[in-house]
Amino acid sequence: MNLFEIRNLTFTYPERNLPALNDVSLSVAAGEFVVLCGKSGCGKSTLLRHLKTVLTPFGERSGEVLYDGRTLGSVPQREQASRIGYVLQSADNQIVTDKVWHELAFGLESLGEKTPVIRRRVAEMASFFGIQEWYEKSVTELSGGQKQILALASVLAMQPDVLILDEPTSQLDPIAAEDFIETLKKINDEIGTTIILSEHRLEGALPRADRAVVMADGQIVCAGGVSEVGLKLKELNDPMLTAMPTPMRVYLALEDQDKGGHVPQTVRDGRVYLEGKMSGGADSQRFVRPCGAHPPLRGVAGMTTEEPLIEMKDVWFRYERDGRDIVKDLALSVYPGELVCVCGGNGTGKTTMLGVITGENKYYRGRVRVFGLDPKKSDGRTLSDAGLAVLPQDPQTLFTRPTVFDNLIDVAYACAKRRPDSIRGAAPEAAHPATAKNANHITPEEVEAEVRRVCELTDTADLMGFHPYDVSGGEQQRTGLAMALLTKPKLLLLDEPTKGMDSFFKEKFAAILHRLRADGLGVLMVSHDVEFCARYADRCALFFGGDIVSEGAPREFFSGNSFYTTAANRMARGLFPGAVTADEIIESIMQG
Amino acid sequence: MNKSIFGGYHPLVNFLYFGYAILVPVFFVQPVYLALSFASALAYSVYLNHGKSARFGYGLAILLMAVSAIMNPVFNHRGVTILTYLPDGNPLTLESVLYGVCMALMIGGVILWFMSYNAIMTSDKFIYLFGRIIPAMSLIISMALRFIPHYRAQIRRIASARRGIGFDASSGGFFSRVRCGGEILSVMVTWALENGIETSDSMQARGYGLPGRTAYSNYRFDSRDKTLLCVFAVLMAASLTAIISGAASVQYFPMLIAGTVYPYAQISYACHAAACLLPLALEVREDILWRTLLGKVTTNESV
Repeated sequence: MNLFEIRNLTFTYPERNLPALNDVSLSVAAGEFVVLCGKSGCGKSTLLRHLKTVLTPFGERSGEVLYDGRTLGSVPQREQASRIGYVLQSADNQIVTDKVWHELAFGLESLGEKTPVIRRRVAEMASFFGIQEWYEKSVTELSGGQKQILALASVLAMQPDVLILDEPTSQLDPIAAEDFIETLKKINDEIGTTIILSEHRLEGALPRADRAVVMADGQIVCAGGVSEVGLKLKELNDPMLTAMPTPMRVYLALEDQDKGGHVPQTVRDGRVYLEGKMSGGADSQRFVRPCGAHPPLRGVAGMTTEEPLIEMKDVWFRYERDGRDIVKDLALSVYPGELVCVCGGNGTGKTTMLGVITGENKYYRGRVRVFGLDPKKSDGRTLSDAGLAVLPQDPQTLFTRPTVFDNLIDVAYACAKRRPDSIRGAAPEAAHPATAKNANHITPEEVEAEVRRVCELTDTADLMGFHPYDVSGGEQQRTGLAMALLTKPKLLLLDEPTKGMDSFFKEKFAAILHRLRADGLGVLMVSHDVEFCARYADRCALFFGGDIVSEGAPREFFSGNSFYTTAANRMARGLFPGAVTADEIIESIMQG
Repeated sequence: MNKSIFGGYHPLVNFLYFGYAILVPVFFVQPVYLALSFASALAYSVYLNHGKSARFGYGLAILLMAVSAIMNPVFNHRGVTILTYLPDGNPLTLESVLYGVCMALMIGGVILWFMSYNAIMTSDKFIYLFGRIIPAMSLIISMALRFIPHYRAQIRRIASARRGIGFDASSGGFFSRVRCGGEILSVMVTWALENGIETSDSMQARGYGLPGRTAYSNYRFDSRDKTLLCVFAVLMAASLTAIISGAASVQYFPMLIAGTVYPYAQISYACHAAACLLPLALEVREDILWRTLLGKVTTNESV
């Protein structure tokens, strides 16, 4: 029995030429766990929103959606509200009430259930998800992962047949995301609820799914069992191949597609496969070909001769006088042209450390110098003028103007006014003779030329006329980056920049950073994304308990860790000790 | 925080108690009632509030009480019993001193009652009670309590993000600060409107707007609540009947006349005091009960 049946659905948003969904047909059986994947902007959300009438967007539509054998539109709202559960991206935005228990009861209140019924259902949910501990709490006291679990529980309290989740883990750190997906699997297994999940973090989701659906440009590229989809993607040589979990990528790169069979999806299966493969080979002298995404920009020796951009020695910080120390005895330096990644679990104080560098958190012991300035004694403007720029986790916090262009011009103007020399030095072609006489006067042309230069660098030229909220998450990130770069930084601080990015945009983002670093920009990045750090960093550091406990080039760093490391490294442990990315395993086997 | 026994009763009982305790001294400024109310308020607030947060409340109460007690005799010269003459030549009368003290007791009592009220009547209870009267209100209050801290945190995030690219609202000249501050607000408004769409989607997806919405609460009105409510009703009814019949009639000027009109005044005072002190008595009884239980547990263990 098919729970959902989508037939030839084509949908175009108002005032757009290209359809967002183009002749999509898909059926979902009751009890299935379906993962929907594809680049961001490929139409995943649009498709999911067609599965519930109140969320269906306005626009031109043809084709039909059947639910339980009836057209969706004819299913009463009350029935849809209860039977079709929908969880959205941002946990913070979908929580409506101030207390956990009230949030759990919200949907049941809407359905008009009586107090004893609500009391029972809410109690059931709290027990199932283990939220008795924080049942009476305010929602503001919860962590991001707990909030998303709460959003899920409050939907599940209405006892839906199907749960639809639109990138629910994109705002979570990897550990919370993994827990969340695991919870979904538990619901699927133990309650039998059908699950339709759109995800870009496939490492955790795909191995748990019954079926995968790959979308591109509003169409379904392929759909079927996970192995089947993997093989099909290889046959099509589809770019989504690079977004697949590491074990699948390695298998698909090394095996012919006609071999078929089971494609390994978990690290365990991947190891078994690799061990089988390697036992056939006679050569035990395996070496790993270094296969970093970009050639390193400078050697370790080069760093010591240069002045560091940031120098931190024995730094201590706590928020309150009687509180515990968040940063303890920390030492870290960043040199020009470097990409330094600080990894580590949630709540270890990574973001607090960034605050110490920007001067927002005043350290109470030790020594911090940013371009020779003490951030404790300098205001934000002075540090920015000296060359410090921060890209926040959420670039939406930066946008003041209604178009991308205006936002960029604003920043450029402010900087040109404060530091007329900086803009000249970087864009000498713009300084025409008339203005060269008056060094303190910057013409609008010069500012615009500077904006265009940065746009080209960050690939934002096409976005100029749009409202910054109307462009995709990745594009917002790029706009934020362009704004940060217009302040002419010598040092860029990034806080979880890859959160919510799909694998394609991550590559693009790394390429942009690489280009900037070639000009001597130092980058300090705080991230959970070990895969990204392993591929692109010059230096990685593990932050734990307020201090950096280990540090090194990505290869030594990750191959020295046994848990906190990339999937590729866990999979190839003992076989290719130095391999930290899927490409390195593939290359090593192909060459070796 | 101290786990209050009275706070564990049904919100209706809590609310009735505080309504009575706060309103009676405000409307009936009779010295005996005021003194009884103030003493009960002080005792209960000391029992419930500890630490730093209480210090502000007591400070405020002492300050306002001192101002009222001193200001009244300085500026009010009515009354027949002249104690002495002030430096400006005006008389200082016993009646005006008494009136000042009574006003001080009233003001101090109200502040102390509100300190206890805050400890007992959490926002949940308030929302629940008013949700009974106006169901839509309870959701609106709950949402407001959710979004105010949410927005406050976001403003902090925006300020820090803008600072990170050199637009620091906490430094620079006056005009640039105002400008940076204004920009933070503008980002906030856009952000709130945009993200509000997702909130409304989430509400609609969970059936908000369907007819026949109910209001759920964690509170149950059980026999314990019924008993206490009855006791309160009897005490308060007795006290209020007496008040209406003249027990609280009072005249300060030109000379103090209080409590003489009503024959059973002592009984009505006793009822008032009992009503005001009952919650404290419940708390103390519970504490003693636990202490004796605990004593038994420890002796059992040591055996």
